[in-house]
Amino acid sequence: MLRRDLMKMALVAGLSFTGGSAFAADMPAPFDKPEEVKIALVRYLSTGDFFQSYLSGVEKQAEALGVDLRVFDSRQDAALQADMVDQAIALGVDGIVIQHGLTESMKPAAQRAVDAGIKVVAFDVNVENDAIPQVEQSDYMLGKLALEQAIKDNGDTFTAGYVYVPGIAPLDRRDVAWKEVKKDNPGIKEAAMFGTLDNPIANSVANQARSVLQANPTINVVFAPYDEFAKGVKIAVDEAGLSQDIKIYSADVSTADISAMREPDSAWAATVATNPAVVGEVSVRTLALMLAGEDPGKQVIVPPTLITQDFLNEQDVRNMGDLGEKMPQFQHADVSVAEWIPLPKR
Amino acid sequence: MNKNALDYAIKYGFLLLLGGLALFFSLYASGFASPRSAVFILQSVAITGILALGVTCTLVVGGFDLSIGSVATSALMLSAYTMVILEQSAFVAVAVCLLMGALVGLVNGLLIVKMRVPDLLATLGMMFLLIGLQRIPTQGNSIATGMSLEDGSVAEGTFSAAFLWLGRHRFDLFLDRLVPVPVVVFLLIALLIWLFLGYTRHGRLMYAIGSNERAAGLVGTNVHRYKIVAYMISGMLASVGGILLAARLGRGDIASGNNLLLDSVAAALIGFAVLGAARPNAFGTAAGALFVGILLQGLTMMNAPYYMQDFVKGAVLVAALVFTFYLSSRRGGRRTA
Repeated sequence: MLRRDLMKMALVAGLSFTGGSAFAADMPAPFDKPEEVKIALVRYLSTGDFFQSYLSGVEKQAEALGVDLRVFDSRQDAALQADMVDQAIALGVDGIVIQHGLTESMKPAAQRAVDAGIKVVAFDVNVENDAIPQVEQSDYMLGKLALEQAIKDNGDTFTAGYVYVPGIAPLDRRDVAWKEVKKDNPGIKEAAMFGTLDNPIANSVANQARSVLQANPTINVVFAPYDEFAKGVKIAVDEAGLSQDIKIYSADVSTADISAMREPDSAWAATVATNPAVVGEVSVRTLALMLAGEDPGKQVIVPPTLITQDFLNEQDVRNMGDLGEKMPQFQHADVSVAEWIPLPKR
Repeated sequence: MNKNALDYAIKYGFLLLLGGLALFFSLYASGFASPRSAVFILQSVAITGILALGVTCTLVVGGFDLSIGSVATSALMLSAYTMVILEQSAFVAVAVCLLMGALVGLVNGLLIVKMRVPDLLATLGMMFLLIGLQRIPTQGNSIATGMSLEDGSVAEGTFSAAFLWLGRHRFDLFLDRLVPVPVVVFLLIALLIWLFLGYTRHGRLMYAIGSNERAAGLVGTNVHRYKIVAYMISGMLASVGGILLAARLGRGDIASGNNLLLDSVAAALIGFAVLGAARPNAFGTAAGALFVGILLQGLTMMNAPYYMQDFVKGAVLVAALVFTFYLSSRRGGRRTA
């Protein structure tokens, strides 16, 4: 650790004096001349806090390495995303991070990049290619940890409401954890399942949750494994005056979520999250390892963190910045690290 | 079919269906028949209903406003920005949003009457413009107290209690804390628009413009001014919807508002069929919004998944359009025959 800090300081000093080349001698090729390394981020999804934060992580890690980053944004157009991979190949980039996408459209495009001698990393999309490592936030673990906390707080016998929209990959993976926990704990009864992605999502879910709570007054736990869902359920619980009687368990976190969890008598008991910025940093570091000829492994998993309401209150956490300070495992994941890779400044 | 029966069906069919639906859910969905559930059906339709009343005004003058959904979400972001980042009061936030809505309406209206851009295209352009514009000040992030700003500081402003009151306060009516503010606002606006369109000279002139713009112009109506006013009403009502949404959510959520647009247009179109009006009208729009609301709440209570709800919404809309265009034209046809 100390050595890494020293290196960071040295690197900063080096950057300010000589434009970064002095200490780059310690870096393996091609990072001895980082300004000549060009990498591309090809995105499928970009709208929303999660994706914004992911991008900032990618940008920060790329900046720390000193490489030239190009961002291609296909805005949920699968065909365009494949074209953008080809554009990146034509541009002569050294590495590509593929962020989300559809297996069908990205598999051939990723193969073309690999054939062109480009290193490729895929985040949250399976491109079925042995040369391409997968960076993942473990959605299964996200769901599992939240549910374990629910059982810890409420015992293994409760009546649950479940918010779920099938067909959305991360939600489907979180659903696996829910099914498993239900099977292992016959005392957990699923009274209602609802959910919608009509936006604003929180508002639409709130409308649904109001009627679900009215129709099923016995519900005392709601599993809402996506923060927009949890926000909607919380609005409904507050409006129904049930905030003392119902506990909400969710996944993902943002500054707004933190303040919602910390409202007096908030029903939102816990959430489990991976910092999207950290996932972005890990994606770039994984790519850097490959470019330097090291093997990051087939699967790079960024572990999630449990965040409870009690913890937030005890530590007086007000926003994502505070959360990172009070919970170091949230701000940095020891995944895909190497002595020579400078970490972004905190 | 007997002519009287047909008339009757066209006039009251939709309201009967509404009653039947409410009865059906009362019997089969536990907890549906209660004053609280009636109120939250109203609450769930209040915001789309207000937007739908705005669309109704533009439909009356033979136009259309595709930008309402994004005006609403822009107002949502703008109110959050005003309070959380600029640290202004609730009054300023509401005033700024209404002004923004009126301005967007004015620009829409000017594009349509002065630049002669077709209404669908002008408001479509405005929709995209606003979806982008509302995200520029925060680089695509949602707005909440405690968020980090670009200069490294933290946003200290909060949603003021007075503002949240708009979305969360409930008036006592028979039961304690029963009727939320948005429902009252919705009912008031519905009443006002109904009176304005049906019972004032201005409203009637707007209908005249909608049925024959040229004729209305020839008898001395200031067609351009009325059209612009219709778009301004639409823009302002959409921002009222956005303000109420922000007050309920308590944060500035980025959202495109496309679902708000589609739901409110559906409500306005279903409104054509109510009482056999076969034209846009405020009472019909409110009833149409209520109809969709009852259906969705009932289906949710019976654990129907979201795609089922979309399907049913679509089916209702198609049925309403058949009522309006086919049956009414037959009735009209018989009369002239």
